[in-house]
Amino acid sequence: MKVDIERRIQQSAEDSARKIRDRLAARKVFAVNLISSPGSGKTTLIEAAIDALHGKKRVAVIEGDIETDIDAARIRKHGVQAHQINTRSSCHIQPFLLLSALDHIDLRATDLLFVENVGNLVCPAEVPLGEDLRIVALSVTEGDEKPLKYPLAFRTSGMLVITKTDLLPHVKFDPERVKTAARAVHPDIEIFEASAVTGSGLPAFLGRIEALCDRKNG
Amino acid sequence: MHELGIATDLLDIALAEAKKHGGRRILAVNLRIGVLRGIVPEHLLFLFGHVSKGTIAEDARLEVEEEPIRIECGSCGPSEAREFVLECPSCGRPCGGVGGGDSLRITSIDIDTD
Repeated sequence: MKVDIERRIQQSAEDSARKIRDRLAARKVFAVNLISSPGSGKTTLIEAAIDALHGKKRVAVIEGDIETDIDAARIRKHGVQAHQINTRSSCHIQPFLLLSALDHIDLRATDLLFVENVGNLVCPAEVPLGEDLRIVALSVTEGDEKPLKYPLAFRTSGMLVITKTDLLPHVKFDPERVKTAARAVHPDIEIFEASAVTGSGLPAFLGRIEALCDRKNG
Repeated sequence: MHELGIATDLLDIALAEAKKHGGRRILAVNLRIGVLRGIVPEHLLFLFGHVSKGTIAEDARLEVEEEPIRIECGSCGPSEAREFVLECPSCGRPCGGVGGGDSLRITSIDIDTD
């Protein structure tokens, strides 16, 4: 006997993501889920954002890594709230883990929450965390064909930030090719280029985040 | 590694539905998975076999229907692809649009009620 079901899988993850969204909405917190491969400069980008938005937005950070709290410790040095999730065997932050991590952040004292996902361009793209904006970071040392190789990461992200642009003179990386590929996968994706080392491109990128954040903070 | 969570979800849904319909044994779980999901069916099958041990879904087959990507070409009309393309596979011109390929659904189960 055949029983028709027609249901999406990962319902439990979606339930947790909905609870996260509700809690963030109640406190008018704008949440960014930052995904990328390992070593693209996510933590450095967040550090630069914290410093640049100081006095404008109250930033908090939840760090996701397989092991260690190295990143959360790095973030705390910038004087903001930070909590570390260790996912152990899991290659991405699962919504239920983020939901309980929210207990460690004072959301009433937060305007902008960065969730730095585990470095991985595959699995984090699969899992909505109830975020307002997903940003995919791609560094210029990684090759310009990544959007075609990992389409879901670019398709599900509202924004692409090309990082480490100070290294462009030293690598074979064509930003225009990346942009074409990213837009083929996701026509509406917003694209920024930034170097956290020189600061080039950061004002435009962070200005956009701040504007989006303003809308939610009300 | 995210296949493990999917296997667990699958099992939960299949067991609940089988119970509702008086199933004594789950013979097959039928899925539709988009090619963009990056899910390896063999991996999913292995993990499902593991999590379903000792349940009525033990030994159930996983039948995966692949959902392709839909391509819209201004000249050639709609077509399908198994991986992301920038140009229409027929005429080589840039595609007008692409969609689909991201389903992750359990469509039905086959159960034995005897």
